[in-house]
Amino acid sequence: MTVKTSSARKNGTVRAGAEAASEPIPLRYGDDPYVWACWLYYEDHMTQGDIAEIMGISRATVNSYLADARARGIVNISLEPSRLSSLSIAQELKRHFGLHDCLVVPSDDNTRPLIDRLGGAAAQALAKLLKSGDTLAVAWGRTILAIAEQASVPGLQDVTIVQATGGTAASFAYTPELCAAAIASAVKAKLINITAPAVVSTAEVRDMLLREPLIHSQFGALAKANKALFGISSLRPNSTIHTSGFFESVSLQQYLARDAVGVVAGRFIDGQGNPVAGPLDDRTIGISLDMLKAIGLRIAVAGGFDKVPAILAALRGGYVNVLITDAATGRGILNADGVTELDQKLSQRPRVDNTVALPSNYRTHIKKFLNDPNDVVEEMLDGVVKANAAFVMPIKGSHRALVARTGPRPGKVGLVVGGGTGHEPCFLGYVGKGLADAVAVGNIFSSPPPGTIFQCANAASGGQGVLFVYGNYAGDVMNFEMAAEIAAEHNIEVRTVVTTDDIASSPLEDREGRRGVAGNFFMFKIAGAACDRGLSLDACEAVTRKANARTFTMGVALEPCSMPQTRRHNFEIGPDDIEIGMGIHGEPGVIREKMMSADAITDRIMDRIFSEMKPAAGDRVAVLVNSFGATPMMELYILFRRVEQRLSAKDITIEANWVGHYCTSLDMVGASITVMHLDAELTELLHHPCDTAVLRIG
Amino acid sequence: MSDNAARRLSRMFYRISIAIEAGKDHLSDLDGAIGDADHGITMSLGFMAVNAELAKLNLDDTLPSEVFTAAASAFLDAVGASTGPLYATAFRRAAQALKQDECLSAADQAMIVEAMTTGIKERGKGQRGDKTMLDAWIPATEAAVNARARSAGGPEMWNSILEAAEAGANSTRSMVAARGRAARLGERSLGHMDPGAASAVIILRAMKDTFGEGEPAR
Repeated sequence: MTVKTSSARKNGTVRAGAEAASEPIPLRYGDDPYVWACWLYYEDHMTQGDIAEIMGISRATVNSYLADARARGIVNISLEPSRLSSLSIAQELKRHFGLHDCLVVPSDDNTRPLIDRLGGAAAQALAKLLKSGDTLAVAWGRTILAIAEQASVPGLQDVTIVQATGGTAASFAYTPELCAAAIASAVKAKLINITAPAVVSTAEVRDMLLREPLIHSQFGALAKANKALFGISSLRPNSTIHTSGFFESVSLQQYLARDAVGVVAGRFIDGQGNPVAGPLDDRTIGISLDMLKAIGLRIAVAGGFDKVPAILAALRGGYVNVLITDAATGRGILNADGVTELDQKLSQRPRVDNTVALPSNYRTHIKKFLNDPNDVVEEMLDGVVKANAAFVMPIKGSHRALVARTGPRPGKVGLVVGGGTGHEPCFLGYVGKGLADAVAVGNIFSSPPPGTIFQCANAASGGQGVLFVYGNYAGDVMNFEMAAEIAAEHNIEVRTVVTTDDIASSPLEDREGRRGVAGNFFMFKIAGAACDRGLSLDACEAVTRKANARTFTMGVALEPCSMPQTRRHNFEIGPDDIEIGMGIHGEPGVIREKMMSADAITDRIMDRIFSEMKPAAGDRVAVLVNSFGATPMMELYILFRRVEQRLSAKDITIEANWVGHYCTSLDMVGASITVMHLDAELTELLHHPCDTAVLRIG
Repeated sequence: MSDNAARRLSRMFYRISIAIEAGKDHLSDLDGAIGDADHGITMSLGFMAVNAELAKLNLDDTLPSEVFTAAASAFLDAVGASTGPLYATAFRRAAQALKQDECLSAADQAMIVEAMTTGIKERGKGQRGDKTMLDAWIPATEAAVNARARSAGGPEMWNSILEAAEAGANSTRSMVAARGRAARLGERSLGHMDPGAASAVIILRAMKDTFGEGEPAR
């Protein structure tokens, strides 16, 4: 995108600008206005506005000169090598281990002890990562104390710090109690200690203590932690694990004999990150490795070359998703894991697009409510699971597979729907009694994988078979087919109805090649009612197929949608153009037309629908006028008004109608109109009661 | 650190991930012209998941076929979409093929390309000329088979594989999409390179760079 604009400017505006200059280019800049602009900006520290005045060109042109100068290498911005190197190592660690984030402290700064530098970096990271309402589990150690000493996170509300392990009477300064208390006071949080010893004499004592109401409630608080902060200890002879006396040395030897390489939150792991069984396991009071893994953000702070195997093990085991370490250790971890060509790879690193700040009215990104764009699906699902808790619950803890609280039951065919995200309230809003039993959720505009879909089938199965209903897209078809194969291996009979209601997406002869869009709303409703009435798998499939054959949708987009990751339009529609036949993924429509009135658009759609539906006077239909995301209700009603006029002119009765956001395409401006041609059976099933987050009947 | 076969494959996946990451925006832009603009994001997500999974393996006692098997499930679980099943099946076929001979010789490398193509063909039920990733993979496989037939060495084989894949990807510009979401666009898909074919070239180039480093130390 940048390339196109800059080359256009080079050929056009640059010359025009240079000719119109109020001052000729001073001799020392040669004939190059780029060099001139750069000198004024970077050396004379002038504003872009002042430069525009001096050069007699527009501010936008100055801006594009500066951007082009970076692209052409006239201006180079360099980072201090040690900082660049630690940034690069952080990036490689993040990529290699699939971390959420990584912070690497430069190694060459040896003025302060490593533990202080790590503590300082982690304190800064904590200020960024800790949010109001968080519960942070805090382990113990010298590093944790160093963080507490340097941390100060003001302005947060309702933060709780929970001690992650039991306590100890040891005389050292970094006991679990002290670490948790120090962090709590640094971030002005409520403190919950675990008021039991970290290691007790027997398993019976531990079990007894865990049953104590006070300790039980403290563990309840620990189980609510959504973030964790811990160090990683090696098992080398000079490590704190040995010197602190926290663990009995006899027991330590037994763990060592079983190939333990490190300790995470008081638990021993081997080189691959697997738990190592040993004599202390049943006598330890504190967070378990499984509990730790279930915490969303797991911040490990550790450095020093002797810790490389232990940190690597913790990374391999998946106990860490935010790592804070130093450059030498980071490099060591990568080398130990076989990444020996770090520097070579770094040189292949893509060049970041160095655009300078554009004028304030120039939009490069769409504004969205986001935290980290990469977390958008997870965070949305977290919200959905909480908001719709009355209707759905996660299957085996996964937010990607949700099952209806009152849906699946023995003797009933299970209904599984699903697809990519970005269409909310499709598909997850239609799960509940009388509608879908389970929903499989994919990434944005991407089918869920077979494993997730199978989990849904399994949860929805009541012994009478399972019906899959989803839109006709190559990806969904492949993933649902693979899931059906897995289900068959588990003796769950699966039938599939692929929805194809978008009449604009293919000619009538290729009805089976059409995509499934907002008409899913009706197909899900009919299928859900059939299943809820206890019809056989054959009958459920047949009536859903009929609903699909009698449902017709066509959409129109006025403006494109934008993906959260790019925050850019994923295609462009001209200022006066609209796309007719737009699907629900922002695929360009089939015909591009000039903007026209709401009635003219509705007529175009209704004409197409009538030509396929071939209604007779006296017929009954159900109507859905659906927003693609950004079109307001006001305009949807204007469309509905015309739909109703066209239908009543043909003496067709609207049995039921819905107007609103039912199957969206992120923030696309546009709408679709769906008409389901009813018969007696479909009418009855349409009115069958259902109770979901988005649709309630009866 | 011995450079065994599994480690080479892990490095290959690592290279693919970096190359895909570098081409992410370009791939998404290609996809925006004829699809839903997420191809770059999806591919990058998939290969990042593969890397994270491989990082958990102890490569010193992992067989190359096991690397491909692990890659297949990691890719599929992370991605779904259409590329998920396609590449997962490709990696599984490669794993099956490697079980006969795990040494990653030039012949094995050719076999990997061939098996991956077979997997993609089976799963997507596609063929050459559909304007899909197969328009890069099928010519690449033919080049591999031909190179083996004339007993060409590894570097020569990979040069011809990449050349064929690039030519194949370029040829998608003049094709009308027959599969995938772009198929609904009919002739409006003309003139655009298929993003799946473009990412296939990126993958094959990263494979070439890895295997081009010389014959494996046995």
